[in-house]
Amino acid sequence: MVEKVEFKNYREMPIRAMTISSMLWNLTGSWRNVRPYYDFKTSPCRLGCPTGENIQRYIYLITEKKYDEAWKTIIEDNPMPAITGRVCYHPCMSECTRKDYDEAVNINALERFIGDQGFQNPQWMEKAKRSKKEKIAVIGSGPAGLTCAFYLARRGYPVTIFEKEKALGGVLRWGIPEYRLPNQVLDKAIASILESGPIEVKTSIKLGKGISLSQLEDEFQAIFLGIGLSQSRELGVKNEAGKGVVPGLEFLHRINSGEKVDAGKKVVVIGGGNTAMDVARCALRSGSEVTVVYRRTINEMPAISEEIEEAEKEGVKLHFLASPLEIIRTKNTLSGVVFQQMKLGDPDESGRRRPVPIEGETFTMKVDTLFTAIGETADLEGLEEKLEQKWNLILTFGENGNTSREKVFAGGDVVKGAASVVEAIAAGKKAAAKIDRLLANEPEPEIEDPHTVGIEDMNTDYFTESKRNRVPRIPQAEVTGSFREIKTGFDDVLAHSEADRCFSCGVCNYCDNCWVYCPDVAIKRLRDEYEIDYDYCKGCLVCVHECPRNALSTREEGK
Amino acid sequence: MKKVIMGNHAVSYGVRASEAKVISAYPITPQTHVVELLSEMCANGEIDAKFIKVESEHSAMAACVGAAAAGSRTFTATSSQGLLLMHEMLHWAVGARLPIVLANINRAVGPPWSIWTDQNDSLSQRDVGWLQIYCESNQETQDTIPQAFKVAEELQMPVMIVMDAFFLSHTFEIVDILEAQEVRKFLPPYHPDIKIDINDPHSFGNLASPEHYMELRYMIQEAMEKAVGLIKKVDGEFQKQFGRGYGLIHPYRCADAEIILVTSGTVASTARAVIDEMRDEGVKIGALKVRVFRPFPFEEIFEVLSRAKKVAVIDRNISFGGHGIFFQEIKSALYGRTDVPILGYIAGLGGRDITPGVIRQIAEQAITDKNPHRYINWIGVKT
Repeated sequence: MVEKVEFKNYREMPIRAMTISSMLWNLTGSWRNVRPYYDFKTSPCRLGCPTGENIQRYIYLITEKKYDEAWKTIIEDNPMPAITGRVCYHPCMSECTRKDYDEAVNINALERFIGDQGFQNPQWMEKAKRSKKEKIAVIGSGPAGLTCAFYLARRGYPVTIFEKEKALGGVLRWGIPEYRLPNQVLDKAIASILESGPIEVKTSIKLGKGISLSQLEDEFQAIFLGIGLSQSRELGVKNEAGKGVVPGLEFLHRINSGEKVDAGKKVVVIGGGNTAMDVARCALRSGSEVTVVYRRTINEMPAISEEIEEAEKEGVKLHFLASPLEIIRTKNTLSGVVFQQMKLGDPDESGRRRPVPIEGETFTMKVDTLFTAIGETADLEGLEEKLEQKWNLILTFGENGNTSREKVFAGGDVVKGAASVVEAIAAGKKAAAKIDRLLANEPEPEIEDPHTVGIEDMNTDYFTESKRNRVPRIPQAEVTGSFREIKTGFDDVLAHSEADRCFSCGVCNYCDNCWVYCPDVAIKRLRDEYEIDYDYCKGCLVCVHECPRNALSTREEGK
Repeated sequence: MKKVIMGNHAVSYGVRASEAKVISAYPITPQTHVVELLSEMCANGEIDAKFIKVESEHSAMAACVGAAAAGSRTFTATSSQGLLLMHEMLHWAVGARLPIVLANINRAVGPPWSIWTDQNDSLSQRDVGWLQIYCESNQETQDTIPQAFKVAEELQMPVMIVMDAFFLSHTFEIVDILEAQEVRKFLPPYHPDIKIDINDPHSFGNLASPEHYMELRYMIQEAMEKAVGLIKKVDGEFQKQFGRGYGLIHPYRCADAEIILVTSGTVASTARAVIDEMRDEGVKIGALKVRVFRPFPFEEIFEVLSRAKKVAVIDRNISFGGHGIFFQEIKSALYGRTDVPILGYIAGLGGRDITPGVIRQIAEQAITDKNPHRYINWIGVKT
């Protein structure tokens, strides 16, 4: 190890003080009392996503231009990124650490970018063959049903989708207008799901009419109900029945079927949710003047704020604190609506302030068509006696969509009420996994502790402020005249620019900082990972402090 | 190509032509232009070097020490308080035998604050073991940089190039710009035999017992002694290729001079004008510019001065409680070998002008002074 060298004279010595032999024998790791180690956490965006997409990972893969891997990463949790990348209310972005620094990363736009890349590269989708004997029935082909079918087919189960309409898609097809989600995008997304595995489709068959739950239970080993909410709630006012008062969903269904609908000059939409916004904007595009009447104020509106802004920008008028009282009809045609003036009272159980009528204050509006969009209800025909229900929704138990019948699962709006596409996807995915465990007789997985990080865990010295990249749009003048998709999506340049903004919270993205800073050269850079050489790591923890994203943790030695 | 550039930029162009690989510096007046231009050259790719920004001069030299130890050609520049803050690391560069080149712009030391020139900053680093070369023109400054790297790398010793604040640093002169492809023939790329190598780790700067410490110090002195001849040789090679040489010292009309004025830095050029003037009047006077201060060229200086009847040393510095610092060195060069009287003059501290009139006053005072032991004469102090 150490050999003593005797110098006869100074000429034998090196000119500078240095060891003659290598110092590798000196294992300085023995000086360490605290050990750094790579410890990847869960990024907050991922926790914010109902279906738990590995967002940090696919954004990193975008920065590496590995679009195929990015797409496969999303597909693990969501089979339709091109759809969610357009219509999701992106709760991930509300959790993005960057929102506490400048502006959240435009995750939604990046998801769409990758989703659209998937359409151009159909070979990315692996095709599953039937490997299981148990047959699964999926009722309804909205986001929940399609997702459940996808993840079961991927596992090798033969799946049959039953759809009451003649085309698949459910709310995606009939509820969401083309300017937000073009039919051709939906068609491609559905086609890629159907091609991914042993999925059979039976359209124009309605539960309770063409087929019953008992029949399904005889033929299939598990059944998933993703039948959504298909009926508009009635206003319950005088003279409601008759021409001129149209359920919003029915209007959307006709518009989305490609029908031209003339709703007259003056259109009023009742409601404050996303359906109300969709109906209003479609009516506007059909040539009407549109006013949305909502009984509370803009602060209480359940619609996504972006949708409200868009509607206003396009020319939809918003009228707050009014509620329809009576429909006025002359010779069976609608001529006007009497509204009750409201004010905000005490908060209700949802935390929003309750609308209270102001006694005696009413007004009348001239209306050609009144669209109702005050909520949707489920059509539970054929299920009434067989499944436990609550508030006209299917009652489920636990997180995985179990209903009161062992073989029957449910998820999406028919369980949650009017929720979101991504929650329906999450429900479909969880139910698929649960059905698989049930049929394979596997135990429940252990739930991992989602150790996450926030802005206080970031070393923000390494970041510079930047504005979020907005998604390019068609000119505003072209927006209202047609049903063309408004947002055109990111190109490569914008996608990379936006992906580069990701902090990669709690997860290594190979920035090399630890490797550069280690004063003992004790960090080895391997392919796609680093390794700490504990023989030489003195535990100075410079790597931990200089990691911009908290991908390292520390542990006291001997404990 | 010729350009009209400031003295500070002459340094930058010298570094560019020398193809330094690492530059680390902290800004300080009057040096800042040097590294400002170099940072731009690094940014625009004119020079393929890593520019390391630091928070102090101590760190700047520490970064240079690391870079040089890793085998890179390394440069820094500073001034006054900055050089003094580097002091500990200056020792390190010598002890570790690292061929770093540093440009120091002579600036008076505070307090009181001053940004103007005098030599106390660099001369107070006399004993750390850096070679010191004092330049008098922008052209000489530029040309000295590649010379310095060549000497430094051969000796494995650091070199300090010194120039006057403002009189040189901020003065524009015509400079024949050196180009890297030409300089490469004179100064080949630096590939040291020993450098930090993560695949073959050694310990550097480690403990040396009394058994070894003196030998290491002996070798530094040996290198310094060798440097005298090497600087001359390298300067000769440079002259051969580029047609310009500067020598260890520069005697001017000294051959038959009865009195010789010893100067350094920009004062040397002013002195030569005064010499011409007084020669025209029939005074047998010459001037000796000392260019290389460490190693001190004792023999060369003795050779020139021993022929004169009187020597007057003009010091833009003062060793408090002693004398002018050049004066002391000149005196030791002549000690015991000749009885020529040496008179010392302190002038121009804190940037006060040393005009031709001041130099003439010193010359005339020296000629008439009958006291051969007046070692310290203050010029221009309001008494």
